[in-house]
Amino acid sequence: MTNQKEQRDAVRQRLLRCMAMAALLTGATIAQAQPRCVIDDTEQELCLAAPAQRIVSLSPGATELLFDAGAGAQIVGTVSFSDYPEAAQDIPRIGSYNRIDLESLLALRPDLIIAWHSGNPRGQVERLQRMGLPVYYTEPRSFAQIASTLLRLGRLAGREETAETAAAALERDVAALAERYAEAEPVRVFYQIWDEPLMTINDTHFISEAIRLCGGVNIFGTLPRLTPTLDPETVLEADPQAIIAGGMGEAEQAWALGWRRYDALQAVQQGHLFFVPPSLLQRPTVRLLSGTRALCTHLQAVRDGD
Amino acid sequence: MVIERRFCWALAALLLLSVSALLIAVTVGSVTLSAAELWAVLQGGGDPLHRTLLLDLRAPRAGAAFATGALLALSGALMQVLLRNPLADPYVLGLSGGAAVGALSAMLLGFGAAMISGSAFIGALCSALLVFGLAQGAGSWSPARLLLTGVVVAAGWGALISFLLSVGPAERLPGMLYWLMGDLSYARSPWPAAMLLVAVMVLALPAGRSLNVLARGPLQAASLGVPVVWLERGVYVLASLLTAVAVTTAGSVGFVGLIVPHMLRLVLGNDQRVILPASALAGGSLLTLADTFSRVLIAPEQLPVGVITALIGVPTFLWLLYRSR
Repeated sequence: MTNQKEQRDAVRQRLLRCMAMAALLTGATIAQAQPRCVIDDTEQELCLAAPAQRIVSLSPGATELLFDAGAGAQIVGTVSFSDYPEAAQDIPRIGSYNRIDLESLLALRPDLIIAWHSGNPRGQVERLQRMGLPVYYTEPRSFAQIASTLLRLGRLAGREETAETAAAALERDVAALAERYAEAEPVRVFYQIWDEPLMTINDTHFISEAIRLCGGVNIFGTLPRLTPTLDPETVLEADPQAIIAGGMGEAEQAWALGWRRYDALQAVQQGHLFFVPPSLLQRPTVRLLSGTRALCTHLQAVRDGD
Repeated sequence: MVIERRFCWALAALLLLSVSALLIAVTVGSVTLSAAELWAVLQGGGDPLHRTLLLDLRAPRAGAAFATGALLALSGALMQVLLRNPLADPYVLGLSGGAAVGALSAMLLGFGAAMISGSAFIGALCSALLVFGLAQGAGSWSPARLLLTGVVVAAGWGALISFLLSVGPAERLPGMLYWLMGDLSYARSPWPAAMLLVAVMVLALPAGRSLNVLARGPLQAASLGVPVVWLERGVYVLASLLTAVAVTTAGSVGFVGLIVPHMLRLVLGNDQRVILPASALAGGSLLTLADTFSRVLIAPEQLPVGVITALIGVPTFLWLLYRSR
């Protein structure tokens, strides 16, 4: 008999505890009742009931932007090559941006996924959405979009203050650069993003925006494709004043210096072959600003005739 | 003529291999689950995360891998009989090329996964019809003529694929390349492939004896009263359908369709009544195991399944070939 009573009491106690917990939880939910909503780069609205605490970033660029928005500590998983900032190197990996290991991703129990619209496999990300996981698609293509991405990520992660400061600083610095070179003499620039096949960018690319900010003119800006493939002849004919190249690594200048074999180019004759580390100019993140500054310095050197 | 007892044993062994392959595929992954956790999920309970991993991720993918492998091996076996050429595989007549052009075009236009599968299927069927129509031509239908037509049409698709890859924007290229290599991470539902597999088995098995005669040559077959023209056309249509569905499910997974039927012929001899079901079981097992390895070998990074099918298949095949007299 006593035994039964004890059991009943224990059950009752547990029930009471459960109810108390439920009441607490409901209270908490009411306190944060306003959902945080943002529109992502594919024009989809995404609403979270509470700030995301377990974020998975599916591109190195998104990882950088999350850190800049103040949400770095909330990232629980990311993809290979997420090498910046240094703290990002310790985040667990869930595959590469173009082949995601869905199992390890789900095992991290994320409450927000930052996907890269043009880079991640569409089918895999859609599958995550069908499983009910909130997915934010990012695809920044300009300084303005980088700044607004910071704000939106900050909102989703509950880091509005840090994000607003970072976005405001970026916009201020970009405006300062634009003002400084607004009246500068235009420099005709060829930017090489890839070697063999030789590839450049058109004016809709953010690298072209960086060139414009520095008072440069992208000689292939009006080509229809975002990343046109060219032959060297076209470049020889256009004869740019400066050639700027990325490279396979962060310090490899071979692509820029490779143009030396064409003596006829004025950029070669005057030594205006420049290298800007690709991670500074080819990733749409806050670091694009430092890449742009380096670019501006090079173009100024061309104007000064150094 | 009764099927020999050793063939029954061989089929039973392959069936066992298939079941084990499927079990391994469902129990192994980049997240390690204990036996107790697995058991809980199988009983309909367990942690929701574990349920998702097993029932939403692993099981459909394992099913799709098995069905695709089975379809490709079966289609390869049929093509080798039809063309009487040891180099024949499901793709030799350009089906995968047509499917690839369909899928890559859909990717270029930015369509979603369902549209990519749909246009791959349409591409494969267009290619099959084109080859079939052209091989008929003005003259008579012959395997040599069919083979030549198919190979040339395949070359045409190859050129179109190169064109699509070179005009494709850089960020879409990895997805396109993985599709061309064959990749089960895109696989959606295994059911269309599995149902087709069963249906074709039911159709092809009764024709096993006629196929045996056909494999010896059309003249012998005709003199023995086999309706050669109709049989050849039927085999062509079936093999095309199998390949089209396989390619639609998992992209152009290579190698399985060529090597599995040959491997089995080296071991079991060339009786189509055994080779056809055995090919389906062995092809399914090979692709399921290969896909499991490709998921976990360097997890969380994922390998294309074709790398592993070749790594497992090439040494096994060469060993069998070396041993055979």
